[in-house]
Amino acid sequence: MNEIPQTAPAKATDTETVEQDLYQKRKKIYPREVHGIFAAMRVAGVAGLLGFYYLMPWILWDGRQAILFDLPERKFYILGMVFWPQDFIYLTLLLVVAALSLFFFTALAGRLWCGYACPQTVWTEAFLWIERKVEGSRQKQMKRDQRSMDLEKFSKKFLKHFLWLAFALFTGFTFVGYFTPIRELAAAIPTLDFGGWEAFWILFYGFATYGNAGWLREQVCIYMCPYARFQSAMFDKNTLIISYDEKRGEPRGARKKSADPQALGLGSCVDCSICVQVCPTGIDIRDGLQYQCIGCAACIDACDEVMDKMGYAKGLIKYTTQNRLDGDHTSIFRPRIILYASILLAIVVGTIIGIINRSPIDLDIIRDRNSLFRETGIGTIENVYTLKVINKDVVDHAYNLSVDGIEGMKLHIQKDRIFAESGAVIELPVSIEMDPDKLTQRTTEIFFKLETIDADMSITEEARFLGPLPMN
Amino acid sequence: MGENQVISTEDTPTIQKVIAVMWPSFLVAGMETIVFFTLFDPQYVFMDYDVTRTGAYSIGFFLFWGFAILPCVLTMYFARPCKPCAVYKDELEPQDK
Ligand code: SF4
Ligand code: SF4
Repeated sequence: MNEIPQTAPAKATDTETVEQDLYQKRKKIYPREVHGIFAAMRVAGVAGLLGFYYLMPWILWDGRQAILFDLPERKFYILGMVFWPQDFIYLTLLLVVAALSLFFFTALAGRLWCGYACPQTVWTEAFLWIERKVEGSRQKQMKRDQRSMDLEKFSKKFLKHFLWLAFALFTGFTFVGYFTPIRELAAAIPTLDFGGWEAFWILFYGFATYGNAGWLREQVCIYMCPYARFQSAMFDKNTLIISYDEKRGEPRGARKKSADPQALGLGSCVDCSICVQVCPTGIDIRDGLQYQCIGCAACIDACDEVMDKMGYAKGLIKYTTQNRLDGDHTSIFRPRIILYASILLAIVVGTIIGIINRSPIDLDIIRDRNSLFRETGIGTIENVYTLKVINKDVVDHAYNLSVDGIEGMKLHIQKDRIFAESGAVIELPVSIEMDPDKLTQRTTEIFFKLETIDADMSITEEARFLGPLPMN
Repeated sequence: MGENQVISTEDTPTIQKVIAVMWPSFLVAGMETIVFFTLFDPQYVFMDYDVTRTGAYSIGFFLFWGFAILPCVLTMYFARPCKPCAVYKDELEPQDK
Protein backbone atom coordinates (compact mmCIF):
# COMPACT_ATOMS: atom_id res chain seq x y z
CA MET A 1 0.00 0.00 0.00
CA ASN A 2 1.97 2.92 -1.14
CA GLU A 3 -0.93 5.21 -1.85
CA ILE A 4 0.12 7.57 0.83
CA PRO A 5 1.67 10.55 -0.88
CA GLN A 6 5.24 10.89 0.26
CA THR A 7 5.62 14.52 -0.60
CA ALA A 8 5.19 17.16 2.00
CA PRO A 9 3.00 20.12 1.14
CA ALA A 10 4.24 23.62 1.66
CA LYS A 11 3.95 24.39 5.32
CA ALA A 12 1.71 27.24 6.31
CA THR A 13 1.95 27.20 10.02
CA ASP A 14 3.13 30.60 11.16
CA THR A 15 0.34 32.83 12.27
CA GLU A 16 0.98 35.45 9.65
CA THR A 17 0.28 33.13 6.76
CA VAL A 18 -2.77 31.77 8.46
CA GLU A 19 -4.05 35.25 9.08
CA GLN A 20 -3.51 36.17 5.48
CA ASP A 21 -5.37 33.09 4.37
CA LEU A 22 -8.46 34.51 5.96
CA TYR A 23 -8.46 37.49 3.69
CA GLN A 24 -7.48 35.77 0.53
CA LYS A 25 -9.92 35.11 -2.17
CA ARG A 26 -11.69 31.90 -1.42
CA LYS A 27 -10.34 28.81 -3.09
CA LYS A 28 -12.77 26.06 -3.69
CA ILE A 29 -12.31 23.26 -1.21
CA TYR A 30 -12.59 19.73 -2.51
CA PRO A 31 -13.01 17.57 0.54
CA ARG A 32 -11.65 14.10 -0.02
CA GLU A 33 -13.98 11.23 0.77
CA VAL A 34 -13.36 9.57 4.13
CA HIS A 35 -14.25 6.20 5.57
CA GLY A 36 -14.21 5.24 9.18
CA ILE A 37 -16.20 5.12 12.33
CA PHE A 38 -16.98 8.83 12.55
CA ALA A 39 -17.79 9.06 8.86
CA ALA A 40 -20.25 6.22 9.38
CA MET A 41 -21.77 8.02 12.34
CA ARG A 42 -22.10 11.18 10.31
CA VAL A 43 -23.74 9.36 7.43
CA ALA A 44 -26.16 7.79 9.89
CA GLY A 45 -26.85 11.20 11.39
CA VAL A 46 -27.38 12.82 8.01
CA ALA A 47 -29.64 10.02 6.81
CA GLY A 48 -31.66 10.11 10.03
CA LEU A 49 -32.11 13.86 10.09
CA LEU A 50 -32.88 14.21 6.39
CA GLY A 51 -35.26 11.27 6.62
CA PHE A 52 -37.02 12.91 9.52
CA TYR A 53 -37.21 16.25 7.72
CA TYR A 54 -38.59 14.88 4.44
CA LEU A 55 -40.97 12.31 5.94
CA MET A 56 -42.41 14.14 8.92
CA PRO A 57 -44.88 16.36 7.04
CA TRP A 58 -46.45 13.27 5.49
CA ILE A 59 -47.22 11.59 8.78
CA LEU A 60 -50.77 11.89 10.00
CA TRP A 61 -52.13 12.06 13.51
CA ASP A 62 -55.84 11.69 14.03
CA GLY A 63 -56.36 12.29 10.34
CA ARG A 64 -54.47 15.56 10.47
CA GLN A 65 -50.88 16.37 9.55
CA ALA A 66 -48.93 15.45 12.70
CA ILE A 67 -46.70 18.50 12.57
CA LEU A 68 -48.25 21.51 10.92
CA PHE A 69 -47.46 25.12 11.70
CA ASP A 70 -50.64 26.35 10.19
CA LEU A 71 -49.78 30.00 9.72
CA PRO A 72 -52.88 30.88 7.69
CA GLU A 73 -55.04 29.58 10.52
CA ARG A 74 -52.72 30.81 13.26
CA LYS A 75 -52.58 27.41 14.92
CA PHE A 76 -49.67 25.03 15.43
CA TYR A 77 -50.43 21.34 15.48
CA ILE A 78 -47.84 19.15 17.12
CA LEU A 79 -48.99 15.56 17.41
CA GLY A 80 -52.15 15.71 19.51
CA MET A 81 -51.61 19.24 20.71
CA VAL A 82 -52.74 22.55 19.31
CA PHE A 83 -50.85 25.74 20.07
CA TRP A 84 -52.21 29.25 19.66
CA PRO A 85 -50.66 32.68 19.49
CA GLN A 86 -51.61 32.87 23.18
CA ASP A 87 -49.17 30.01 23.79
CA PHE A 88 -46.27 32.14 22.61
CA ILE A 89 -44.57 31.54 25.95
CA TYR A 90 -43.90 27.93 24.98
CA LEU A 91 -42.16 29.00 21.81
CA THR A 92 -39.98 31.31 23.86
CA LEU A 93 -39.25 28.53 26.32
CA LEU A 94 -38.41 26.22 23.45
CA LEU A 95 -35.86 28.69 22.16
CA VAL A 96 -34.37 29.09 25.64
CA VAL A 97 -34.12 25.31 25.91
CA ALA A 98 -32.44 25.13 22.50
CA ALA A 99 -29.89 27.78 23.45
CA LEU A 100 -29.15 26.18 26.80
CA SER A 101 -28.76 22.74 25.25
CA LEU A 102 -26.27 24.22 22.85
CA PHE A 103 -24.29 25.67 25.77
CA PHE A 104 -24.51 22.42 27.64
CA PHE A 105 -23.41 20.15 24.82
CA THR A 106 -20.73 22.56 23.71
CA ALA A 107 -19.18 22.75 27.14
CA LEU A 108 -19.33 18.98 27.34
CA ALA A 109 -18.39 17.84 23.88
CA GLY A 110 -17.35 20.83 21.79
CA ARG A 111 -18.83 21.31 18.38
CA LEU A 112 -20.82 18.11 18.38
CA TRP A 113 -23.73 20.04 16.91
CA CYS A 114 -21.68 21.41 14.02
CA GLY A 115 -20.16 18.13 12.98
CA TYR A 116 -23.24 15.95 13.05
CA ALA A 117 -26.52 17.82 13.38
CA CYS A 118 -26.29 21.33 11.96
CA PRO A 119 -28.51 21.68 8.90
CA GLN A 120 -25.61 23.34 7.10
CA THR A 121 -23.45 20.25 7.64
CA VAL A 122 -26.27 17.86 6.88
CA TRP A 123 -27.23 19.45 3.57
CA THR A 124 -23.64 20.10 2.57
CA GLU A 125 -22.93 16.40 3.10
CA ALA A 126 -25.87 15.53 0.87
CA PHE A 127 -24.73 17.98 -1.81
CA LEU A 128 -21.15 16.69 -1.61
CA TRP A 129 -22.47 13.19 -2.05
CA ILE A 130 -24.31 14.20 -5.23
CA GLU A 131 -21.21 16.02 -6.44
CA ARG A 132 -19.06 12.93 -5.91
CA LYS A 133 -21.57 10.68 -7.61
CA VAL A 134 -21.58 12.91 -10.68
CA GLU A 135 -18.10 14.36 -10.81
CA GLY A 136 -16.07 11.60 -9.24
CA SER A 137 -13.31 11.76 -6.68
CA ARG A 138 -11.50 14.82 -5.40
CA GLN A 139 -8.66 14.33 -7.88
CA LYS A 140 -11.01 14.03 -10.80
CA GLN A 141 -12.93 17.11 -9.77
CA MET A 142 -9.79 19.19 -9.37
CA LYS A 143 -8.44 18.08 -12.75
CA ARG A 144 -11.73 18.80 -14.45
CA ASP A 145 -12.00 22.23 -12.94
CA GLN A 146 -8.57 23.17 -14.27
CA ARG A 147 -9.54 22.16 -17.74
CA SER A 148 -11.31 24.62 -19.98
CA MET A 149 -14.92 23.93 -20.81
CA ASP A 150 -15.63 21.00 -23.09
CA LEU A 151 -18.59 18.77 -23.66
CA GLU A 152 -17.71 16.29 -20.94
CA LYS A 153 -17.14 19.01 -18.36
CA PHE A 154 -20.29 20.83 -19.38
CA SER A 155 -22.49 17.76 -19.21
CA LYS A 156 -21.10 16.77 -15.81
CA LYS A 157 -21.59 20.26 -14.43
CA PHE A 158 -25.03 20.51 -15.97
CA LEU A 159 -26.11 17.20 -14.46
CA LYS A 160 -24.71 18.17 -11.07
CA HIS A 161 -26.49 21.50 -10.94
CA PHE A 162 -29.67 19.96 -12.26
CA LEU A 163 -29.66 17.36 -9.48
CA TRP A 164 -28.72 19.97 -6.89
CA LEU A 165 -31.55 22.22 -7.96
CA ALA A 166 -34.07 19.42 -8.04
CA PHE A 167 -33.03 18.32 -4.57
CA ALA A 168 -33.07 21.92 -3.31
CA LEU A 169 -36.53 22.58 -4.71
CA PHE A 170 -37.79 19.42 -3.11
CA THR A 171 -36.30 20.70 0.14
CA GLY A 172 -38.14 24.00 -0.32
CA PHE A 173 -41.34 22.15 -1.09
CA THR A 174 -41.00 20.13 2.09
CA PHE A 175 -40.25 23.25 4.07
CA VAL A 176 -43.43 24.94 2.90
CA GLY A 177 -45.19 21.65 3.64
CA TYR A 178 -44.63 22.31 7.33
CA PHE A 179 -46.70 25.48 7.04
CA THR A 180 -49.34 24.57 4.47
CA PRO A 181 -50.84 21.08 4.40
CA ILE A 182 -48.34 19.13 2.31
CA ARG A 183 -50.92 16.89 0.70
CA GLU A 184 -52.65 19.92 -0.76
CA LEU A 185 -49.30 21.20 -2.00
CA ALA A 186 -48.49 17.84 -3.53
CA ALA A 187 -51.83 17.76 -5.27
CA ALA A 188 -50.90 21.06 -6.89
CA ILE A 189 -47.58 19.78 -8.29
CA PRO A 190 -48.90 18.43 -11.62
CA THR A 191 -50.43 21.78 -12.53
CA LEU A 192 -47.90 23.86 -10.56
CA ASP A 193 -50.93 25.64 -9.25
CA PHE A 194 -49.57 26.60 -5.84
CA GLY A 195 -50.74 29.69 -4.08
CA GLY A 196 -48.56 32.64 -5.10
CA TRP A 197 -46.80 32.93 -1.76
CA GLU A 198 -46.36 29.19 -1.41
CA ALA A 199 -44.64 29.11 -4.81
CA PHE A 200 -42.51 32.04 -3.77
CA TRP A 201 -41.33 30.40 -0.55
CA ILE A 202 -40.62 27.08 -2.25
CA LEU A 203 -38.33 28.91 -4.66
CA PHE A 204 -36.83 31.11 -1.97
CA TYR A 205 -36.02 28.25 0.37
CA GLY A 206 -34.91 26.06 -2.51
CA PHE A 207 -32.41 28.64 -3.74
CA ALA A 208 -31.19 29.30 -0.22
CA THR A 209 -30.47 25.58 0.12
CA TYR A 210 -28.79 25.43 -3.26
CA GLY A 211 -26.65 28.46 -2.48
CA ASN A 212 -25.70 27.46 1.05
CA ALA A 213 -25.03 23.77 0.52
CA GLY A 214 -23.83 23.92 -3.06
CA TRP A 215 -21.81 27.12 -3.23
CA LEU A 216 -21.14 28.73 0.13
CA ARG A 217 -20.50 25.63 2.20
CA GLU A 218 -17.74 26.19 4.74
CA GLN A 219 -18.07 29.96 4.29
CA VAL A 220 -21.41 29.72 6.07
CA CYS A 221 -19.63 28.20 9.05
CA ILE A 222 -16.86 30.76 8.97
CA TYR A 223 -18.77 33.96 8.28
CA MET A 224 -22.38 33.31 9.19
CA CYS A 225 -22.24 31.10 12.21
CA PRO A 226 -22.12 33.09 15.43
CA TYR A 227 -21.41 29.87 17.22
CA ALA A 228 -17.95 29.61 15.67
CA ARG A 229 -17.02 32.96 17.09
CA PHE A 230 -18.20 32.52 20.63
CA GLN A 231 -17.40 28.88 21.07
CA SER A 232 -14.16 29.79 22.81
CA ALA A 233 -16.23 31.33 25.60
CA MET A 234 -17.94 28.01 26.20
CA PHE A 235 -14.90 25.82 25.88
CA ASP A 236 -12.72 25.01 28.81
CA LYS A 237 -9.84 22.65 29.39
CA ASN A 238 -12.22 19.75 29.96
CA THR A 239 -14.21 20.19 26.77
CA LEU A 240 -13.99 17.41 24.26
CA ILE A 241 -12.09 18.70 21.26
CA ILE A 242 -10.49 17.24 18.19
CA SER A 243 -6.80 17.58 18.43
CA TYR A 244 -3.56 16.49 16.90
CA ASP A 245 -1.14 14.95 19.33
CA GLU A 246 1.80 17.21 18.73
CA LYS A 247 4.06 15.48 21.20
CA ARG A 248 3.65 12.23 19.38
CA GLY A 249 3.48 13.53 15.82
CA GLU A 250 6.37 15.93 15.67
CA PRO A 251 8.81 16.24 14.08
CA ARG A 252 6.71 15.27 11.13
CA GLY A 253 8.21 13.98 7.93
CA ALA A 254 7.85 11.54 5.06
CA ARG A 255 9.44 8.15 5.43
CA LYS A 256 9.24 4.65 4.05
CA LYS A 257 6.90 2.27 5.78
CA SER A 258 9.82 0.03 6.69
CA ALA A 259 11.85 2.84 8.21
CA ASP A 260 12.18 3.21 11.93
CA PRO A 261 10.98 6.71 12.77
CA GLN A 262 13.07 6.81 15.90
CA ALA A 263 16.24 6.18 13.95
CA LEU A 264 15.27 9.01 11.60
CA GLY A 265 14.42 11.25 14.50
CA LEU A 266 10.80 11.58 13.35
CA GLY A 267 7.47 11.54 15.12
CA SER A 268 4.39 9.63 13.99
CA CYS A 269 3.09 12.16 11.47
CA VAL A 270 4.13 11.11 8.00
CA ASP A 271 3.14 14.53 6.71
CA CYS A 272 0.86 13.05 4.08
CA SER A 273 -1.55 15.99 4.35
CA ILE A 274 -4.51 13.70 4.05
CA CYS A 275 -6.01 15.25 7.16
CA VAL A 276 -5.97 18.58 5.32
CA GLN A 277 -7.45 17.11 2.15
CA VAL A 278 -10.48 15.66 3.91
CA CYS A 279 -11.22 18.77 5.90
CA PRO A 280 -14.43 20.40 4.71
CA THR A 281 -13.27 23.78 5.97
CA GLY A 282 -9.81 23.42 4.52
CA ILE A 283 -7.76 23.82 7.67
CA ASP A 284 -4.79 21.95 9.02
CA ILE A 285 -5.71 20.49 12.39
CA ARG A 286 -2.01 20.16 13.14
CA ASP A 287 -1.90 23.92 13.66
CA GLY A 288 -4.00 23.55 16.78
CA LEU A 289 -7.59 24.36 17.66
CA GLN A 290 -9.03 26.85 15.18
CA TYR A 291 -12.42 28.43 15.08
CA GLN A 292 -12.97 27.20 11.53
CA CYS A 293 -12.90 23.60 12.73
CA ILE A 294 -16.44 22.31 12.82
CA GLY A 295 -15.45 19.17 14.71
CA CYS A 296 -16.56 16.83 11.97
CA ALA A 297 -13.89 14.26 12.86
CA ALA A 298 -13.10 13.58 9.20
CA CYS A 299 -9.43 14.16 9.95
CA ILE A 300 -9.57 11.55 12.74
CA ASP A 301 -10.87 8.88 10.40
CA ALA A 302 -8.41 9.88 7.72
CA CYS A 303 -5.36 9.89 9.93
CA ASP A 304 -6.36 6.63 11.62
CA GLU A 305 -6.40 5.02 8.21
CA VAL A 306 -2.92 6.34 7.53
CA MET A 307 -1.70 5.14 10.90
CA ASP A 308 -3.11 1.70 10.14
CA LYS A 309 -1.32 1.54 6.81
CA MET A 310 1.91 2.58 8.42
CA GLY A 311 1.43 0.05 11.17
CA TYR A 312 1.39 2.76 13.89
CA ALA A 313 -1.11 3.05 16.71
CA LYS A 314 -4.26 4.99 15.87
CA GLY A 315 -5.20 8.23 17.50
CA LEU A 316 -2.57 10.70 16.32
CA ILE A 317 -5.58 12.94 15.74
CA LYS A 318 -8.36 12.17 18.19
CA TYR A 319 -11.15 13.36 20.43
CA THR A 320 -9.48 14.51 23.58
CA THR A 321 -9.43 17.38 26.06
CA GLN A 322 -6.86 20.04 26.68
CA ASN A 323 -6.32 18.60 30.13
CA ARG A 324 -5.62 15.16 28.80
CA LEU A 325 -3.21 16.57 26.23
CA ASP A 326 -1.40 18.28 29.08
CA GLY A 327 -1.34 15.02 30.98
CA ASP A 328 -3.92 16.19 33.54
CA HIS A 329 -7.08 14.58 34.71
CA THR A 330 -10.27 15.30 32.77
CA SER A 331 -13.38 15.80 34.85
CA ILE A 332 -16.82 15.61 33.34
CA PHE A 333 -18.84 16.91 36.25
CA ARG A 334 -17.61 20.41 36.73
CA PRO A 335 -19.58 23.39 38.03
CA ARG A 336 -20.34 24.78 34.58
CA ILE A 337 -21.75 21.49 33.34
CA ILE A 338 -23.79 20.94 36.48
CA LEU A 339 -25.13 24.48 36.29
CA TYR A 340 -26.16 24.24 32.63
CA ALA A 341 -27.65 20.81 33.20
CA SER A 342 -29.74 21.82 36.19
CA ILE A 343 -31.10 24.99 34.58
CA LEU A 344 -31.88 23.01 31.46
CA LEU A 345 -33.62 20.28 33.39
CA ALA A 346 -35.65 22.78 35.41
CA ILE A 347 -36.89 24.60 32.31
CA VAL A 348 -37.68 21.40 30.42
CA VAL A 349 -39.63 19.97 33.35
CA GLY A 350 -41.38 23.31 33.87
CA THR A 351 -42.34 23.53 30.22
CA ILE A 352 -43.69 20.00 30.15
CA ILE A 353 -45.74 20.58 33.30
CA GLY A 354 -46.96 23.84 31.83
CA ILE A 355 -48.03 22.20 28.58
CA ILE A 356 -49.77 19.34 30.37
CA ASN A 357 -51.65 21.74 32.63
CA ARG A 358 -52.45 24.15 29.84
CA SER A 359 -55.97 25.34 30.29
CA PRO A 360 -58.02 23.94 27.41
CA ILE A 361 -60.20 27.02 27.41
CA ASP A 362 -59.14 30.55 26.87
CA LEU A 363 -61.13 33.69 27.39
CA ASP A 364 -60.26 37.14 26.05
CA ILE A 365 -62.36 40.09 27.08
CA ILE A 366 -62.52 43.19 24.94
CA ARG A 367 -64.42 46.20 26.22
CA ASP A 368 -66.57 48.15 23.84
CA ARG A 369 -64.35 51.08 22.93
CA ASN A 370 -67.03 53.43 21.75
CA SER A 371 -68.65 54.21 25.08
CA LEU A 372 -67.69 53.92 28.70
CA PHE A 373 -71.20 52.97 29.75
CA ARG A 374 -74.73 53.35 28.47
CA GLU A 375 -77.81 54.54 30.23
CA THR A 376 -80.70 52.23 29.55
CA GLY A 377 -83.56 54.65 30.13
CA ILE A 378 -85.00 52.66 33.00
CA GLY A 379 -82.50 53.98 35.50
CA THR A 380 -79.87 51.30 35.07
CA ILE A 381 -76.54 51.48 33.25
CA GLU A 382 -74.98 49.02 30.91
CA ASN A 383 -71.42 48.01 29.90
CA VAL A 384 -70.78 46.14 26.68
CA TYR A 385 -68.04 43.58 26.09
CA THR A 386 -67.00 41.18 23.40
CA LEU A 387 -65.81 37.87 24.77
CA LYS A 388 -63.56 35.63 22.72
CA VAL A 389 -63.92 32.04 23.73
CA ILE A 390 -61.19 29.74 22.47
CA ASN A 391 -61.64 26.02 22.72
CA LYS A 392 -58.14 24.57 22.78
CA ASP A 393 -59.41 21.14 23.73
CA VAL A 394 -59.48 18.22 21.33
CA VAL A 395 -63.27 17.84 21.76
CA ASP A 396 -66.20 20.25 21.31
CA HIS A 397 -67.65 21.96 24.34
CA ALA A 398 -70.71 23.88 25.46
CA TYR A 399 -70.16 26.49 28.14
CA ASN A 400 -71.88 28.41 30.91
CA LEU A 401 -70.93 32.01 31.54
CA SER A 402 -71.39 33.84 34.81
CA VAL A 403 -70.15 37.10 36.23
CA ASP A 404 -69.19 38.06 39.75
CA GLY A 405 -67.76 41.06 41.59
CA ILE A 406 -70.62 43.46 42.39
CA GLU A 407 -73.99 42.67 43.89
CA GLY A 408 -76.93 42.86 41.55
CA MET A 409 -75.29 42.61 38.12
CA LYS A 410 -77.44 41.28 35.33
CA LEU A 411 -75.68 39.45 32.53
CA HIS A 412 -77.20 39.52 29.06
CA ILE A 413 -75.80 37.08 26.54
CA GLN A 414 -76.93 37.47 22.97
CA LYS A 415 -76.85 33.75 22.30
CA ASP A 416 -78.93 30.93 23.70
CA ARG A 417 -76.08 28.54 23.88
CA ILE A 418 -72.35 29.05 24.07
CA PHE A 419 -70.80 26.34 21.99
CA ALA A 420 -67.34 25.99 20.47
CA GLU A 421 -65.99 23.21 18.35
CA SER A 422 -62.56 21.81 19.09
CA GLY A 423 -60.03 24.38 17.98
CA ALA A 424 -62.61 27.10 17.33
CA VAL A 425 -62.68 30.72 18.43
CA ILE A 426 -66.12 32.22 18.95
CA GLU A 427 -67.00 35.82 19.57
CA LEU A 428 -69.64 36.46 22.14
CA PRO A 429 -71.11 39.94 22.60
CA VAL A 430 -72.42 40.36 26.14
CA SER A 431 -73.66 43.23 28.22
CA ILE A 432 -73.94 43.76 31.94
CA GLU A 433 -76.73 45.83 33.37
CA MET A 434 -76.75 47.24 36.84
CA ASP A 435 -78.22 49.81 39.18
CA PRO A 436 -75.74 52.73 39.42
CA ASP A 437 -76.65 53.36 43.06
CA LYS A 438 -74.94 50.12 44.00
CA LEU A 439 -71.61 51.36 42.64
CA THR A 440 -69.19 52.82 45.14
CA GLN A 441 -66.57 53.88 42.63
CA ARG A 442 -66.24 54.68 38.95
CA THR A 443 -64.30 51.58 38.07
CA THR A 444 -65.05 48.25 39.62
CA GLU A 445 -63.34 44.96 38.98
CA ILE A 446 -65.58 42.19 37.87
CA PHE A 447 -64.86 38.59 36.98
CA PHE A 448 -66.20 36.56 34.11
CA LYS A 449 -66.26 32.86 34.73
CA LEU A 450 -66.56 30.45 31.86
CA GLU A 451 -67.32 26.82 32.67
CA THR A 452 -67.84 23.82 30.50
CA ILE A 453 -71.20 22.16 30.93
CA ASP A 454 -70.00 18.69 30.13
CA ALA A 455 -66.60 18.67 31.76
CA ASP A 456 -65.10 20.07 34.85
CA MET A 457 -63.10 22.95 33.43
CA SER A 458 -63.34 26.64 34.05
CA ILE A 459 -61.50 29.87 33.53
CA THR A 460 -61.93 33.21 35.26
CA GLU A 461 -60.88 36.47 33.65
CA GLU A 462 -60.88 39.92 35.09
CA ALA A 463 -62.62 42.92 33.49
CA ARG A 464 -63.69 46.39 34.50
CA PHE A 465 -67.16 47.77 34.94
CA LEU A 466 -67.40 51.53 34.41
CA GLY A 467 -70.10 53.76 35.78
CA PRO A 468 -70.80 57.42 36.50
CA LEU A 469 -69.19 59.13 39.49
CA PRO A 470 -71.02 57.91 42.60
CA MET A 471 -73.23 60.60 44.11
CA ASN A 472 -72.22 60.19 47.74
CA MET B 1 3.58 44.69 10.40
CA GLY B 2 3.82 44.30 14.10
CA GLU B 3 1.26 43.78 16.80
CA ASN B 4 -0.28 47.13 16.02
CA GLN B 5 -1.42 45.93 12.64
CA VAL B 6 -4.82 47.37 11.88
CA ILE B 7 -7.12 45.04 10.06
CA SER B 8 -9.08 47.30 7.79
CA THR B 9 -12.38 46.40 6.24
CA GLU B 10 -10.72 46.69 2.86
CA ASP B 11 -9.14 43.34 3.55
CA THR B 12 -12.48 41.74 4.23
CA PRO B 13 -13.68 39.44 1.46
CA THR B 14 -16.73 40.72 -0.35
CA ILE B 15 -18.71 37.65 0.54
CA GLN B 16 -18.09 38.36 4.21
CA LYS B 17 -19.32 41.92 3.78
CA VAL B 18 -22.45 40.77 1.99
CA ILE B 19 -23.10 38.19 4.69
CA ALA B 20 -22.45 40.71 7.45
CA VAL B 21 -25.26 42.84 6.07
CA MET B 22 -27.78 40.28 4.89
CA TRP B 23 -27.50 37.70 7.62
CA PRO B 24 -27.91 39.58 10.92
CA SER B 25 -30.75 41.56 9.39
CA PHE B 26 -32.37 38.32 8.27
CA LEU B 27 -32.21 36.90 11.78
CA VAL B 28 -33.58 40.05 13.35
CA ALA B 29 -36.34 40.26 10.74
CA GLY B 30 -37.30 36.68 11.48
CA MET B 31 -37.60 37.37 15.19
CA GLU B 32 -39.50 40.60 14.60
CA THR B 33 -41.90 38.83 12.28
CA ILE B 34 -42.62 36.14 14.84
CA VAL B 35 -43.17 38.57 17.71
CA PHE B 36 -45.13 41.08 15.67
CA PHE B 37 -47.53 38.62 14.11
CA THR B 38 -47.98 36.75 17.36
CA LEU B 39 -49.24 39.95 18.90
CA PHE B 40 -51.17 41.23 15.90
CA ASP B 41 -53.29 39.18 13.60
CA PRO B 42 -52.57 40.31 10.03
CA GLN B 43 -56.26 40.15 9.31
CA TYR B 44 -56.60 43.23 11.49
CA VAL B 45 -53.32 44.89 10.54
CA PHE B 46 -53.88 44.60 6.81
CA MET B 47 -57.64 44.80 7.04
CA ASP B 48 -58.02 47.28 4.22
CA TYR B 49 -55.91 45.31 1.76
CA ASP B 50 -56.73 42.17 -0.04
CA VAL B 51 -53.95 39.88 1.18
CA THR B 52 -54.04 36.43 2.68
CA ARG B 53 -52.44 35.87 6.05
CA THR B 54 -49.53 34.05 4.40
CA GLY B 55 -49.08 37.03 2.12
CA ALA B 56 -49.17 39.41 5.06
CA TYR B 57 -46.56 37.39 6.95
CA SER B 58 -44.34 37.36 3.89
CA ILE B 59 -44.67 41.06 3.15
CA GLY B 60 -44.15 41.83 6.83
CA PHE B 61 -41.02 39.72 6.88
CA PHE B 62 -39.49 41.44 3.87
CA LEU B 63 -40.36 44.87 5.23
CA PHE B 64 -38.63 44.00 8.50
CA TRP B 65 -35.68 42.62 6.57
CA GLY B 66 -35.40 45.75 4.49
CA PHE B 67 -35.53 47.98 7.54
CA ALA B 68 -32.87 45.90 9.24
CA ILE B 69 -30.58 45.90 6.22
CA LEU B 70 -30.39 49.66 6.38
CA PRO B 71 -28.63 49.97 9.75
CA CYS B 72 -26.35 47.08 8.83
CA VAL B 73 -25.22 48.89 5.71
CA LEU B 74 -24.75 52.09 7.67
CA THR B 75 -22.74 50.30 10.33
CA MET B 76 -20.57 48.79 7.65
CA TYR B 77 -20.09 52.21 6.13
CA PHE B 78 -19.19 53.92 9.38
CA ALA B 79 -16.94 51.08 10.44
CA ARG B 80 -14.56 51.83 7.62
CA PRO B 81 -11.22 52.84 9.06
CA CYS B 82 -10.54 56.55 9.27
CA LYS B 83 -7.18 58.09 8.57
CA PRO B 84 -5.33 58.49 11.87
CA CYS B 85 -5.25 62.14 12.88
CA ALA B 86 -1.99 64.00 13.24
CA VAL B 87 -1.51 63.29 16.94
CA TYR B 88 -1.60 59.54 16.49
CA LYS B 89 0.39 59.68 13.31
CA ASP B 90 3.36 61.00 15.24
CA GLU B 91 3.13 58.13 17.63
CA LEU B 92 2.71 55.54 14.94
CA GLU B 93 5.37 56.64 12.56
CA PRO B 94 8.53 55.69 14.44
CA GLN B 95 7.16 52.19 14.82
CA ASP B 96 6.49 51.83 11.16
CA LYS B 97 10.04 52.63 10.24
S1 SF4 C 1 -1.64 14.08 10.99
FE1 SF4 C 1 -2.07 12.08 10.09
S2 SF4 C 1 -3.21 12.49 8.23
FE2 SF4 C 1 -2.33 14.43 8.90
S3 SF4 C 1 -0.41 14.57 7.75
FE3 SF4 C 1 0.08 13.63 9.69
S4 SF4 C 1 -0.08 11.46 9.31
FE4 SF4 C 1 -1.09 12.45 7.61
S1 SF4 D 1 -9.94 19.99 11.29
FE1 SF4 D 1 -10.76 17.91 11.27
S2 SF4 D 1 -12.54 17.98 12.59
FE2 SF4 D 1 -12.01 20.08 12.11
S3 SF4 D 1 -13.27 20.57 10.37
FE3 SF4 D 1 -11.32 19.86 9.57
S4 SF4 D 1 -11.60 17.67 9.25
FE4 SF4 D 1 -13.27 18.34 10.52
